[in-house]
Amino acid sequence: MKHPMNSVTAITGLGLTEMGRVYRDAEDLAAEAVFLALEDAGLQKSDLDGLLINAGIGEGVGVPLHMTLGLKELNLLTYMQGYGSSAGQMIQYASMAVANGLANTVCCVFADSPLKEKQRSGAVSYARRSQPDAMTTLDTIYGVVGALPKYALAAQRHMDLFGTTQEQLAAVAISQRRWAAMNPRASKREPLDLDAYNASPWVVEPFHVLDCCLVSNGAVAVIVTSAERARDLKQPPVYIRGFAQAHNHDTGQANHDPLIHSAGARSAPRALAMADAKVSDVSQCQLYDCYTYTVIVTLEDYGFCKKGEGGSFVAEGHLGPGGALPTNTGGGELSSFYMWGMTPVSEAVIQGRGQGGERQAPNDLIMVSGNGGVLAYHSTLVLSPEAA
Amino acid sequence: MTETTAWLPTDDQSQPFFEGASAGELRLQRCSDCQGWMYPLKKRCQHCGSTNLAWRASSGRGTVYSHARLQRVYHPRHEGRLPLILAWVDLEEGVRMPSNLVDCDPADVRVGMVVQVTFEQFPDGTVIPVFRPL
Repeated sequence: MKHPMNSVTAITGLGLTEMGRVYRDAEDLAAEAVFLALEDAGLQKSDLDGLLINAGIGEGVGVPLHMTLGLKELNLLTYMQGYGSSAGQMIQYASMAVANGLANTVCCVFADSPLKEKQRSGAVSYARRSQPDAMTTLDTIYGVVGALPKYALAAQRHMDLFGTTQEQLAAVAISQRRWAAMNPRASKREPLDLDAYNASPWVVEPFHVLDCCLVSNGAVAVIVTSAERARDLKQPPVYIRGFAQAHNHDTGQANHDPLIHSAGARSAPRALAMADAKVSDVSQCQLYDCYTYTVIVTLEDYGFCKKGEGGSFVAEGHLGPGGALPTNTGGGELSSFYMWGMTPVSEAVIQGRGQGGERQAPNDLIMVSGNGGVLAYHSTLVLSPEAA
Repeated sequence: MTETTAWLPTDDQSQPFFEGASAGELRLQRCSDCQGWMYPLKKRCQHCGSTNLAWRASSGRGTVYSHARLQRVYHPRHEGRLPLILAWVDLEEGVRMPSNLVDCDPADVRVGMVVQVTFEQFPDGTVIPVFRPL
């Protein structure tokens, strides 16, 4: 039996600002993305009756964005924070609101501007800026600062347990760079080979700089409305076939293995069940790729290969152009731009519409992941150009 | 760094942890109701929700849950020590904690390696727990 949420809503508008070293405040970027999404969908500002907002921490974007936009009468409005899972979450809440009549047309927007002029991207901190206490400072003294070392610890555990290699991590970065070469919006388009990857400086071994996502300023907005209404709008609808979330808490206890088993393992099967689909039905993936390892662990947890076999799976070339499972076809967060979960979502919309140009891949069923914390917060979307 | 610079801010809540390190003990929080251990700082037991927590010395023995090599300086202590070995250590008490491994070659570290706490003193006198292979 068809799930009552399967294909009831669709993504219709997509707005992407300039990305990268765009030195504008995040709220202004957010506003621009909303207007771009409206124009893209052929909608007026007055058509919007819902606004969901998510932004980089400490960047000053919040509920007042609706005033900046001059949205006078909304039926749905809030700021949400689920870190890297937020974009997928916003689309899910928007879908549920639209399906249940709380709102008709909901814009979901993400903005961030962590890059400041004359500052190296490596100096950017996504952390809270308050004075740290002694135990937090101890983490810094140990060198376990922010997400990066923890993902490096995750990758190393995978390497020790399953024999995953540096070359297999590299395969993710190299495959995505091949896609990025075909994406005019991608920040990094120059060819990348194993030698160039190996020559990239270490940050926290086993991660080179090229195992880590970019740091970008910019904003992305998408508009969710009913499937019925989406069919009358300017762009081809991208139907929301299934979705789910799963959130794990690393308790600091030794009785679980959060670096090897992400929350995606619980999210993906439920999203696919809503879509009445199997892993083998998926034509392409847009996966949150804060680090190369994130792609490997997500592919395993989504069931595209067995646990421990993600390294060899990516090294077999499935993810790149012409591969059996085109993945991160815009270059991903590693090579295009880092807009948290909106990086995979925006590419999924482009692909779902068939507007990928030379990088267009088979798009019958698109799986999209959002991942936040250290593999802890997860959202999954299953999208398609066809309604179920 | 000079002798007088504080490497760590001090706060009353975590003082027992650092006092323990100075005394050669890895002190953690333990629930007086359910006897569950946890890595500080917690106000409430992670296992049963009790606020009845006490500081107790752990065995200081554990295994490497994972490890990595820091290759960039994020703190003055890291100067001249790269690659510094980062580790999450699973203690016998069931607590997983971040730390560094010392007295070993980074190439020899493996998941599951047995380690024992040892202590490192900073120029300002602060002492922190680190681990070495047993």
